[in-house]
This record gives sequence, C-alpha cells and structure tokens, in this order.
Amino acid sequence: MSADASVDKELLESIIGQPTGRSTVVVERGPVSFFADAVVDPNPIYKDPAAAQAAGLPAIPAPPTFPIAMEAWGKFAELQPEDAPSGSPLLKILGPLMAKGGLILHGEEEFIYHRPVLVGDQLVGDGKVVDAYRKESKGKTMTFVVTETTWVDAKTGDPVVTARFNVIHRA
Amino acid sequence: MMGKGRVSVGERKLVYEEVSEGDEGPARSHTLTRTDLVRYAGASGDFNPMHHDEVKAKAAGQPSVFGHGMFSMGLLGTAITDFVGVGNLTRYKVRFARQTWPDEELTTKVVVSGKRVEDGRHLVDLDVRLVNQDGEEKVVGEATAEVPSRS
Repeated sequence: MSADASVDKELLESIIGQPTGRSTVVVERGPVSFFADAVVDPNPIYKDPAAAQAAGLPAIPAPPTFPIAMEAWGKFAELQPEDAPSGSPLLKILGPLMAKGGLILHGEEEFIYHRPVLVGDQLVGDGKVVDAYRKESKGKTMTFVVTETTWVDAKTGDPVVTARFNVIHRA
Repeated sequence: MMGKGRVSVGERKLVYEEVSEGDEGPARSHTLTRTDLVRYAGASGDFNPMHHDEVKAKAAGQPSVFGHGMFSMGLLGTAITDFVGVGNLTRYKVRFARQTWPDEELTTKVVVSGKRVEDGRHLVDLDVRLVNQDGEEKVVGEATAEVPSRS
C-alpha cells in the first residue's frame, strides 16, 4: 500500500459514523403523483384518494422508491430544526475526488419499509455514514461511501422507512 | 394482524397460500428515452447532468446521457408492486450492475424465491432484475412483501 493510500484509508474511516444531517419533510400529493409518472407507473392508487381507500390505505401511498425524492420536494425551510446536525462527510471525500475527475455512480440502494409512506405524512430523517472504503477493479479506483437514513413519523416517532445509499466514485 | 408498526393493509394481489417458489410476476418492458430521464430528474430532484446534458456527458467520456440508477429501480419497483400490491413491501434492495442507455428496451423479471411466516407475518421473497434486449443485467436485487393469508 502506498503512503497515499494509507492516508486515504484514514480519511475514509474518519467519516464512518458521522451524521449526514437531519431533515423534516412533508409528503405531498403533487410530487407523489409526478413521481409515479416518472417511474412509468399508471396505477390510479397514486393519483386518486378513492383508489387508495378502496385498497385499504388511509391515504394515497408513495411509490416504493419515492423516499429518494422526499428531500428534493418536501424539505421546507421553516420545518427544519435549528439544532439539526449538519455537515457533509460525503462531500469531504467525494468533493476532492471529483475535482480531479472521474464519475459518480450509484452502487446500491436499499429500502426497509416499516409502513407505506403516505401523502400527508410529515417525516423526520436522520442520516449517517455507515461505511467508506476503496477497491481497485478493472484498472479503476472505486471509492465507496454508504449512508443510512432512518425516517420516522414526526407525530408518533414510529419508524416508517430506512434507506441505505451506496455511492461510488470511479476514476 | 401485522407486526408492530406496520399498516395492516395494502392492495390485495397475492394470497400467501396461493404463492409458490418460481412464480413470476407479469413482466414490464419499457424503451428508455431521453424524455424519461428529464422527467425522472424533475420528479426525483437528481439533476446530475450525466442524465440529461448530452454535451457534458460526452465531455466526461460517456457515449451519451445515461439513465439514473434510481429510474431503473423505480421501473422495476412498478413491476414488483403490480405483482405483490402497493403498500405491502417490507424491503427492496438492488445493486446497479450496469448503466442504462437511451433506446435500450428494459424488461423486468420478478420471481418468487421463497416464502416464510415470521412472527405471524406472511412474507414472500422475490428475486428481481431489470435486463435489456440482449439479456444484459442492469439492476439485480431482492424484495420482500408481507401478504394476506387465508388463515
């Protein structure tokens, strides 16, 4: 292992366990409907409250991969706690790598559902880095960072969905 | 009855006793367009230019724009919920094996890999994948759904 690589390893390990931030989001009908279109899902359950009720759901559900979009669409500034953990351990690793080129790729994604995400939900997500490592593959250097975000119901504190995100820098 | 914290009802599609290992969900095929990628960028908030800006994608050494991994996972998710019913998934995990490209025909494959009862919950496990017209795997993963039982 070169000196550079061992320094990198230390830097990578230094971000494991660091928070990636806390978000409060609102799940709204328009974004859910548009997201269903975007994943080519014509099921009326994502558009029509009567269809959702007929299926036994208390409100319009979100498609299973919608949690990836929740912060883009429902993270309103006035809902964010002032004391939320902040910082971007991902950027600390990926920023300098991207500055030298290469490509960011999504390696893996996992959702664990405790109940369906529903229109009208207000959810609080807490994220942290759970792994960071580097591999050589086919002459390329692959840097992996894995984060886990746990979303809970803001009213009850009950878990709703956990998302694990594995991002790769390839150069 | 459901496990703690679960909403007990989703769309009813499968009944536990009627599901067998090897059963397949209906396949979905979709030919990827650049418009799909623009729509997905807006819907997801992922505006990485590699997915919508041909000029930047080529400058980065890519032959063209390429699909969001999460678009593939979303498309495959549509086939999964068609089969098991919306609101019933307890887990869905994928690995993004290859990039997807405009004009590829992407087809879903959802196969029951097993079933089990755990803490009174009736669970169906699935092998899931998305392949192109040449059988190249784009996304490979697994999912679990909690389904109603006759008992």
